[in-house]
Amino acid sequence: MSMGIPEVEDAGCLLCFGYNGADSHPIVARRIVRGRQKGMKIICVDPRVTETARISDIHLQLKGGSNLALVNAMAHVIWEEGLTDDRFIQEHTKGYDEFLKVIEKYTPEYAEPITHIPADMIRQAARMYATTKPAMILYGMGVCQFSQAVDVVKGLANLALMTGNFGGPSMGIGPVRGQNNVQGACDMGALPNSYPGYQNVTVPEIREKFEKAWGVPLSDKVGCPITHVPHRILHEKDEKKRIHAYYIFGEDPAQSDPDLAEVREALDKCDFVVMQDIYMNKTGLYADVILPATAWGENEGVYTCADRGFQRFRKLIEPEGDLKPDWQIIAEISTAMGYPMNYKNTEEIWNEMIDLCPSFAGATYEKLEKYNGVQWPCRDKSMEDKGTPYLHKGGNFATADKKALFYGTDWHPPLEMENDEYPMSLSTVREVGHYSVRTMTGNCRMLRSLEDEPGWVQMNPDDCKRLNLEKGELVKILSKRGYCITRCLPTERVKPGATYMTYQWWIGACNELTLANLDPISNTPEYKYCACRVEKIEDQEWAERHVKELYDDIRVQMGIDTGKGAAS
Amino acid sequence: MKKELGSFVIGDSTKCTGCKACEMACFTVHNQGSNHVGKTVGTVTVPVVPRLFLTKFEYGCMPIQCKHCENAPCLNACTKGAISRIDNQVIVDPEKCIGCKDCMQACPFGAVTLLPYAKDGKVVAQIGSNETRVFASKCDLCKDVPGGPACVRACPHEALRLVDPEAEREEKNIKAAEALLLTKNWR
Amino acid sequence: MNYFVKGNPDLCIGCRTCMIGCVVVHEGKHIFEVDPDSYNFNPRLHMVKTAKISVPVQCKHCENPACMAACPVQAIYQEDHRVLINTDKCIGCKACATACPFGAIDIVSLAGTRQADGSERKVANKCDLCNNIAGGPACVRVCPTQALSLVTEEDLGGAMEKKRMEAARNAYMEIHPQNGG
Repeated sequence: MSMGIPEVEDAGCLLCFGYNGADSHPIVARRIVRGRQKGMKIICVDPRVTETARISDIHLQLKGGSNLALVNAMAHVIWEEGLTDDRFIQEHTKGYDEFLKVIEKYTPEYAEPITHIPADMIRQAARMYATTKPAMILYGMGVCQFSQAVDVVKGLANLALMTGNFGGPSMGIGPVRGQNNVQGACDMGALPNSYPGYQNVTVPEIREKFEKAWGVPLSDKVGCPITHVPHRILHEKDEKKRIHAYYIFGEDPAQSDPDLAEVREALDKCDFVVMQDIYMNKTGLYADVILPATAWGENEGVYTCADRGFQRFRKLIEPEGDLKPDWQIIAEISTAMGYPMNYKNTEEIWNEMIDLCPSFAGATYEKLEKYNGVQWPCRDKSMEDKGTPYLHKGGNFATADKKALFYGTDWHPPLEMENDEYPMSLSTVREVGHYSVRTMTGNCRMLRSLEDEPGWVQMNPDDCKRLNLEKGELVKILSKRGYCITRCLPTERVKPGATYMTYQWWIGACNELTLANLDPISNTPEYKYCACRVEKIEDQEWAERHVKELYDDIRVQMGIDTGKGAAS
Repeated sequence: MKKELGSFVIGDSTKCTGCKACEMACFTVHNQGSNHVGKTVGTVTVPVVPRLFLTKFEYGCMPIQCKHCENAPCLNACTKGAISRIDNQVIVDPEKCIGCKDCMQACPFGAVTLLPYAKDGKVVAQIGSNETRVFASKCDLCKDVPGGPACVRACPHEALRLVDPEAEREEKNIKAAEALLLTKNWR
Repeated sequence: MNYFVKGNPDLCIGCRTCMIGCVVVHEGKHIFEVDPDSYNFNPRLHMVKTAKISVPVQCKHCENPACMAACPVQAIYQEDHRVLINTDKCIGCKACATACPFGAIDIVSLAGTRQADGSERKVANKCDLCNNIAGGPACVRVCPTQALSLVTEEDLGGAMEKKRMEAARNAYMEIHPQNGG
């Protein structure tokens, strides 16, 4: 995020694009709600009536998969009606004229049939964003989990550049990261193309710096993203590139990756699978070796908040059982593999890392303790450098000439649209209560009492009526990749023809249906759009028994007590 | 999802005119099979035994019938186990009933009463006596009757309605929530 | 006058922390230790989500409670600014639930109890303003956006007084606009 989370509540206008704060980050939603109380204007872009949409001034309830058409149309209006910050464009940006050529044809009338939003509403939204200062954009998985994702992010950045909404508080553009600690994982270089601190693996000077610090030769090639792994296990012909071993930690691909049938096949056929996590989960069922790690409260370290804030977290209790902190497990495995790691504590690891990362160099443990966190960049070790709440101050960008680059692209639809065999669309979503794949919260009994297998599929009441479905009825939902059984939830918050499922259930596993269609640059799958079909199950008694059997089966396989005693 | 609570029929005394069409309909549908009750009153050879009871009181009249309580006092009072829950409804098995009158006394609504038992068009005698056999008669929500509660269907003034407690609660919750929109600026 | 808790739809984000808070304080800490089938998960307020609204709904502790009037066994009574149900007397007849226009009463199973046919007892369940629970209404305390508030007689009286004064001022201004400002 280019801004800090506390700044959200002081924006003049919030363009909330494909981001559902209430269900993903209640603490951020709290800021949005407070901002509203302070008079903040809200434009919410979401195919569902989310909590933010409910309190918004303008809700653009677009058809899923039309993001870029809408973004380009908004840019078109801002340009056409002369609402641009010309001084900012001239002093701090490049490529504006080429960009205008791309958005020229995206009149609101052009975008209307694609987005299903009336042209006039697009105009109103664009005007509100352009004329209410400071204006902030928050976006989430509703932007990122499409095959055209990076283009949309750039498109949103274009809007902020056009209107001079960078370089001050409560403006800018913020991806509110999916979860803790994805921001930290990226900061530490758990990305195939970068070292810690977003330093590119292909740049020779950088590679040499790390080779020297770590004492080993390092590859100069970009690595393999998680979404390519099944292919590299199952279909890779080049023996040098084929993957034979998969070390998975703090992630549950057998639950959260798209096209689960393919993931299972890949895990089955992979020669060696190691799983390192805090609780048993679906991926654990395929592991040859399981390394139990400590959970929150049992270890200490640093997380990074979505707004670049490093925060210390501390150990509260002694872990019980044969567990170790993640960093210790990795250090021991590394040592056993021939590369000794002899860190005594996390601070040693941290200090080594920040000395190799200019943007983090000043974020010492001492500073993190004293200031309750530091937002990077923090380059100076002196206590005066408290970090950077918002980026691009003074209109300076992280390019060679400090100018931001406009980047316009044409819209294209999602890969798998509705068709005769699969006439509805499916998108994955979240809900509060359970968190992500439930590796943690599935073991919290209060949350299980609130919601349990097989979860729900949200559908418009007209569709439910057409298919003769009642609330709570078990239904079968299928796509080309697979199917699952879940309960029908009629709700006016979704449009006819569209369905939505949370991705957290083992039995009601919507990722059986999703497809691994990736954005070419980010490699994130198109979870937010695939074609599906919903079928009524006549014998509900059989369905209830079947779901219960499947659930009991999985719990037995995982070695979880089926419901009795504190161990569950 | 399976319903957890028993439905029941309730009357509206502001609409009821005391015509007893409900009582007749109730008796008719419960006796067609076993008691040859035909198309007209003239074919009836057994006593008219309803399972809901028209009640006159200070402000009008309305039929009173079983509410299919969740901790039904009648069920809990019956030592013979003649009363049980079937599909969430409280049902009396007349074959098991010995007429001990505990259920009648237990029911706070007076919804249960002992009435003559008839089979094959004739009133049945008690075993070991000439007295008429009786059974605890109460609303069974027309569980074996096609078309559902006959009283609701028969009432000419729509004074009776079938209540689905869970569905009604959800509808009322929505209205209450919408009312909160109007009172949010109460300060 | 009876007190009550009310939700503000402008602040509610539909997270249901209130429902969990309600269960935890009414059941007690032991629920985190015992067999999950042996404790009751019976929240006394319910989240309503429609296209226009998200807000929890709960008992309004009416002054002439319809539920109390309908109860055939006098299980519902008023005490200490609230309307309460004595579940020991409750026969689960649903008269109170039917009488309540807000659907604030739910009929719930009590874990560990038995009826003559072996099933668990089912009783009327509704908000009791956290009667006999330290700290007052838990839902109010746990809501992350402070969307719920306890309204006392003083609060309501004060609000009425303020509105009346405002009305009087406005009436005055209509006649003497030059004194405004």
